[in-house]
Amino acid sequence: MFKRLDEAAPAGEVTIWLEDAPRRVPATLSAAAAVLWLDGGAGYRDHAAGGRRAPLCMMGVCHECLITVDGEPNRQGCLVPVTEGMRLTRQRRRP
Amino acid sequence: MSDASLRHAEVAIIGAGPAGMAAASRLAEAGQRPVVFDLAPNPGGQIYRQLTVPQVGEEVMGRDYLRGRALLERFERARLDYRPGSRVWWAQREGQGTTLGVLAGGRSELWQAKRLIVASGAMERGWPFPGWQLPGVMQAGAGQILLKQGGLVPDAPPVLVGTGPLLYLLAWQYLRAGCPPRLILDAAPRSRYAALLRRPRATWHAGHYLLKGLGMLGALRRAGVTVKHGLEAIEAEGGERLEAVRYRLGGRWHRIGASLLLTHFGVVPEPQLGRGLGLAHDWHDGQQAFVPRRDAHSLAAEPGVWLAGDGAGIGGARNAEREGHLAALAILAAEGEAVAREAAPLDRARRRDRSARTLLEALFRVPEGWLAAQPETTLVCRCEAVSLGEINAAMAQGAAGPGQLKAFTRCGMGPCQGRLCGESVTRLLAGHLGTTPGAVGAYQVRPPLQSITLGELAAAAVPPEAERP
Repeated sequence: MFKRLDEAAPAGEVTIWLEDAPRRVPATLSAAAAVLWLDGGAGYRDHAAGGRRAPLCMMGVCHECLITVDGEPNRQGCLVPVTEGMRLTRQRRRP
Repeated sequence: MSDASLRHAEVAIIGAGPAGMAAASRLAEAGQRPVVFDLAPNPGGQIYRQLTVPQVGEEVMGRDYLRGRALLERFERARLDYRPGSRVWWAQREGQGTTLGVLAGGRSELWQAKRLIVASGAMERGWPFPGWQLPGVMQAGAGQILLKQGGLVPDAPPVLVGTGPLLYLLAWQYLRAGCPPRLILDAAPRSRYAALLRRPRATWHAGHYLLKGLGMLGALRRAGVTVKHGLEAIEAEGGERLEAVRYRLGGRWHRIGASLLLTHFGVVPEPQLGRGLGLAHDWHDGQQAFVPRRDAHSLAAEPGVWLAGDGAGIGGARNAEREGHLAALAILAAEGEAVAREAAPLDRARRRDRSARTLLEALFRVPEGWLAAQPETTLVCRCEAVSLGEINAAMAQGAAGPGQLKAFTRCGMGPCQGRLCGESVTRLLAGHLGTTPGAVGAYQVRPPLQSITLGELAAAAVPPEAERP
């Protein structure tokens, strides 16, 4: 869904873990932005009532970016900056 | 809570956008040391987000973004207590001050602020249509945040829809970044632009905004971007994600494939803090939103509480900066400093800007009857998946206010705490009861004003020294 501009200022990168895969992402991104960049947002999270959801506002309002950060569920991914070694787990509905 | 954990601030400021930064800088320059609580990791607010370490330059963002540099540098030089990543989750007026519960780094602190400036800014209006909950549908502001935060742009041409300056600004920035939108659907009818000619004085004052807008529109048209006015209805289609956008123009439906739909139906004051503090609110017909009540001159809402910037009514970044400055002057005046000469030109500029603003409000008005015309399956409350049909049924059963609708249907009870559906619920009730949004009112807001976990809440109840044996 999103790509990075070639001319974007290199702010350095960090390695985060999305589920069990290490991924290099720009260090200035929020956790939610990193997931949108890596995976297009289609699989961002499941809603309890069924169906997929993805961030709407990216500024702390909509709470559609809820994600498990370092084992702690329901963090607002758009308000959490990525850090080296951060582990992100997308929240899935139990079958 | 133990008094041992209570911290004191002469002046606390919530928010570090243009209003918060201007207020804090001016107070610091007068020798005060304000405490600034900011939800974001860096100062700048939404408008100057990531400007501390810009990821995209003027060639894409335009001049107005870089304009924030001076204010940001002044803020960074100022001697103040800046606290990024802080969520003010509780706020209560007590005597002449305000008590704040502030969550940062996983723990909560209790602050007593003698004087408080609320500069918590705006949010994008929640505006339901079928399929707006699909991945691939985002607000235009979200697109711009991704651009500022990491130079992220759509990997396929997006469809932009709605009304308001941000829609064209984002389209223009995407164009300059080499990825222009495929289609812009403007909800404002073309005839509305003729209104400019009937209001020459306001048009003159709005000249800066209008010329900027015309320049952007011209650049988009020259680049071959299709802009259609008078959008009547829109639907997002898809299974697990957006696949196509359906839209109605002149009574006819059209369909276009898209992987990203960016919507913008204006910005409104973020309601949580003002409501949480129990401030009076009025429905502003021009802004089509509730705004907290404050003294037009001093910007004080209550003794010891000042409101500055878009959180107190939409005025834009320059106005927010002036209001932050004025709120700081109001505090200095309360301490006996002579500030009248410094305040006068700011007041004059505010009045001029207000005149321009009424014109922009008229130009970018959102269609009043939109929501009632949506299909009944449209989600009004995304969090609790409450549809328009369920809300209509609850109103038919006698739910007569936002609180009752919440109890009947669970709308507004999810994690966003009614931020996104609050206006919709008020509008639907006003339509059903044949009254005004102002008469209907809004959801009651109770703490926590921001999400907080039970663990964080439990940690807040323990004074810091008791945590370590």
